[in-house]
Amino acid sequence: MKLAALLLASALSTPASTYYLTITGLGGEPDYTQRFKMWAEDIDTSLKRAGGDANVITMQVPTREQVRSRFADLARQVKATDTFVLMLIGHGTYDGVDYKFNLQGPDITAAELAGLMDHVPAQRQLVVNMTECSGGSIEQLRRPTRIVVSATRSGTERNSTVFARYWAEALREPSADTDKNEAISALEAFRYAQQKTTDFFETQKRLATEHSVIEDTGKGTGERTPNLENGEGKLAASFAVVRLGANAAAARDPVKRPLLDRKEQLEQAIDKLKFEKAAMPENEYKRQLTQLLLELAKVQEAIDK
Amino acid sequence: MRQLAFGLVLLTANAVCAQTLRDAEARWKARDYQGANEIFRQLVAADPNNPDLKVRWGRLYLDHAQPNDAQDLFAEALEIKKDHPGALLGLALIASEGFEGRAADLARKALEGDPKLVEAQELLAYLALEDNDNAKAAEEAHKALALDANSVTGKAVLATIDWLADKKETKWDPHAAKGYEVAGHFFVINRRYEEGIEYYRKALELDPQLYSARSQLGVNLMRLGQNEEAYKQLETCFNNGFQDAATRNSLKLMDSYKNFVTFTTPRTILKLHKKEAALLRPYIESEMEKAIATYEDKYRMKLTRPVQVEVYPDHEDFAVRTMGLPGLGALGVTFGYSIAMDSPSGRPPGQFHWASTLWHEMSHVFTLTATNHHVPRWFTEGMAVHEETAVSPEWGDRLTPDVIAAIKNKKLLPVTELDRGFVHPVSPGQVVVSYFQAGKICDYINNKWGWNTLLAMLHDFAGAMETADVVRKELKIEPAEFDKQFIASVEAETKTVVSSYDDWKKGMRSLVDKVAEKQWDAVIAEAPKLRDDYPDYVEDHNAYEALAQAYLAKGNKQAALAELERYEKVGGRNPETLKNLAKQLEDAGRPKDAAAALDRINYIYPMDAAAHRSLGALWLVQDNPKGAIREFQAVLARNPLDQAQAHYDLARAYQANRQLSQANDECLAALEAAPGFRPAQKLLLELSNSPEPAAPSPVKK
Repeated sequence: MKLAALLLASALSTPASTYYLTITGLGGEPDYTQRFKMWAEDIDTSLKRAGGDANVITMQVPTREQVRSRFADLARQVKATDTFVLMLIGHGTYDGVDYKFNLQGPDITAAELAGLMDHVPAQRQLVVNMTECSGGSIEQLRRPTRIVVSATRSGTERNSTVFARYWAEALREPSADTDKNEAISALEAFRYAQQKTTDFFETQKRLATEHSVIEDTGKGTGERTPNLENGEGKLAASFAVVRLGANAAAARDPVKRPLLDRKEQLEQAIDKLKFEKAAMPENEYKRQLTQLLLELAKVQEAIDK
Repeated sequence: MRQLAFGLVLLTANAVCAQTLRDAEARWKARDYQGANEIFRQLVAADPNNPDLKVRWGRLYLDHAQPNDAQDLFAEALEIKKDHPGALLGLALIASEGFEGRAADLARKALEGDPKLVEAQELLAYLALEDNDNAKAAEEAHKALALDANSVTGKAVLATIDWLADKKETKWDPHAAKGYEVAGHFFVINRRYEEGIEYYRKALELDPQLYSARSQLGVNLMRLGQNEEAYKQLETCFNNGFQDAATRNSLKLMDSYKNFVTFTTPRTILKLHKKEAALLRPYIESEMEKAIATYEDKYRMKLTRPVQVEVYPDHEDFAVRTMGLPGLGALGVTFGYSIAMDSPSGRPPGQFHWASTLWHEMSHVFTLTATNHHVPRWFTEGMAVHEETAVSPEWGDRLTPDVIAAIKNKKLLPVTELDRGFVHPVSPGQVVVSYFQAGKICDYINNKWGWNTLLAMLHDFAGAMETADVVRKELKIEPAEFDKQFIASVEAETKTVVSSYDDWKKGMRSLVDKVAEKQWDAVIAEAPKLRDDYPDYVEDHNAYEALAQAYLAKGNKQAALAELERYEKVGGRNPETLKNLAKQLEDAGRPKDAAAALDRINYIYPMDAAAHRSLGALWLVQDNPKGAIREFQAVLARNPLDQAQAHYDLARAYQANRQLSQANDECLAALEAAPGFRPAQKLLLELSNSPEPAAPSPVKK
């Protein structure tokens, strides 16, 4: 619910844009080339279908120079209030020091990618590195206002990954929107793709060779299960990667502002009540929750009219 | 048994280093394994080319339940001296422990090298009795006694033949701990666990330090669910240095029982792992109830106590339950009223039809009970295989390449020797072939003579009659004539598959390439013949799926649907393909058939939350709220990320079933997870305006 509040606040201020850049690297073999292309196209389609303010760029097997050139464009276009999402699909390597994303021609290191992202003015950034060894890029890529998702927890998980397949799926799958606010946050997409990846290995009875992690504090090494204790996931929870519905549009209608204010109050009250659940008698919790949820449902009904 | 050759080999080895070898043997006899091992190590280092020393050292390892180390030493001895009888015997003993068909050949070869090697002769008697070939076992045992009038195993084999035939008094009673241990083994492999336990107890009365017997006592107590004593016995073995794989793994398994939960009904006891109990319980419990009711009717008997089923998500845990038993035992095993089986989660989707396995094992409960565990292996397995397809034609195993090869190469066994195919297979595939053959024999008898004849045979076996006599009595035919007629029938039934199999293999290779290259017209042209030449082939890269894929690529949804329906009907089990079938059926406006297709997945791989959700939705619109509740509960049991949707779906199903209080609770749970979830908000408003809850609707499914 805190996410909803943040989205509303953001929608009411200056209209901001989200810029998406998806890059596929060298496949090496026809099977991988086809797979990477398919996943990138899947992401591209979902983002474009979501429409609205999306600026969607997909680069299939570019050279390092082409990547640099694209980032230079972005550095000029993007404003500080915008958000920026970089998604890397392909193969990666890690030699114990440097992570490299395999491109056509010379590869690009994590350090250079981080530098290129630093020049994009967007204050809120997300980078999803879906290659093998991608855990080796976290240290270079992390920043206090940047979310880093990697398909592997370290640079030493060297088997090709399936995480990208499920990340792409998360961006078009309503069930990834677990809080049903009609937007899929970075945290929701991460959890969805992580769960599906785990299921994949379990179902196939194969030893899991990739363990995705998320880092959004700018100082961690990546967590499998972001939560209050480890402090990871807070920024990711409020970072909408894809908006599925029209909640933002409704939020811009001044007539509905009082209702929206009440809705926000109720959502906060529900959050507070849930926080206190453990210390309350079950029946009392249920009574209060029912009351709040019923009122919220009525307010939402009024907003939707 | 292993120590019987002690003196014989000792004499040979004594010539090399009498004093020290004697010391090693003395320590071994005193069960000082470490001390004996150290002396052997020094002896072999001093005399590395002495095969006798290596054989004795190997036997020490074998006695200490380290067959791999023993095998290495026997192999080294054979390198030094080709056809060394002691080394061959050692290998034969190891093969015998694994129920390998080559054990008898190795023992015979050892005897050729040393005709007085009594232990090899004893092993031949032992192996023949494992095949339930009493005449041969008795003949070999008498030969052993001729070599050594005090042969404990020789006497034990002869005594066990009498005891297995329920003759309490026998002149061959070995009055020795090792002899009673041998008897215990034979009762266990004949699935007479309680009697086996009694013989192990008898062995321990004479020699409390016979830990191999104590371990087997523990293992078999565990099989019958007497876990407390089982654990104590196994722990005693472990603490006294007897730590073979069965002891170690059984203890480990029993330690893991804390992760299991038990559900009981008046007729069933179901043990499930905590992590999947909520999901699996409704499906397995209802099949158990159905199977008991069906079999009580078919077998005309009532079970006197509940049947217990243990379901293991980790195949290694299940494997512990089958250690030391002959046969495939790959999916399930029955110990009297107790069944252990793999969980559907323990295997890749589509490789395991858990319900078919459950019905198979439940059938054993009836055939074993009806015969007081006197039924021969081939008949109880045959009945169990027969029952799989009796439940539903697409259940049960399909005709496999192993079976086709066996039919083609005339490798089916005579009915009187069929047990050998289970107990001492000459190749890994022979067990599968034996299951097939036993099942087909029961099908054949059922079709030609009728169910009552099968029941009459079962009652004959209860009276300890042998297969040949039962065949003569009930089928009024000589066993050899029965084999002739049966094999002719199988050959006629499988003529097309067998005759075209080699061409089929070539054709399938070509078809797989064409599918990869997306040559859909060629696939459509070639696949139908391949499908019809071997219709039972529904495994990876089958013609049905290839054709369906080709038709879909060409936009012919109707033809694709027809192909997928064929696949389902013939026993195709790939959940993804069945899901695709359900989708095609739904698109074709056949929601009822779509639901049936998805419901089939429940019996194969009920771990797929998406399939449960689709089925729940279909049943909800088909006015089957009870079924929808079960499916949506299954979704929740999978702990989905999308908790809100899962609770909301279940709330709708409860609402449809007029269980408004439960519907309200589920709706609140949905909104607790996602307060802004509009459909749940609407349902909450609707429920808050509902009148008092009405009575739940009757069960529809």
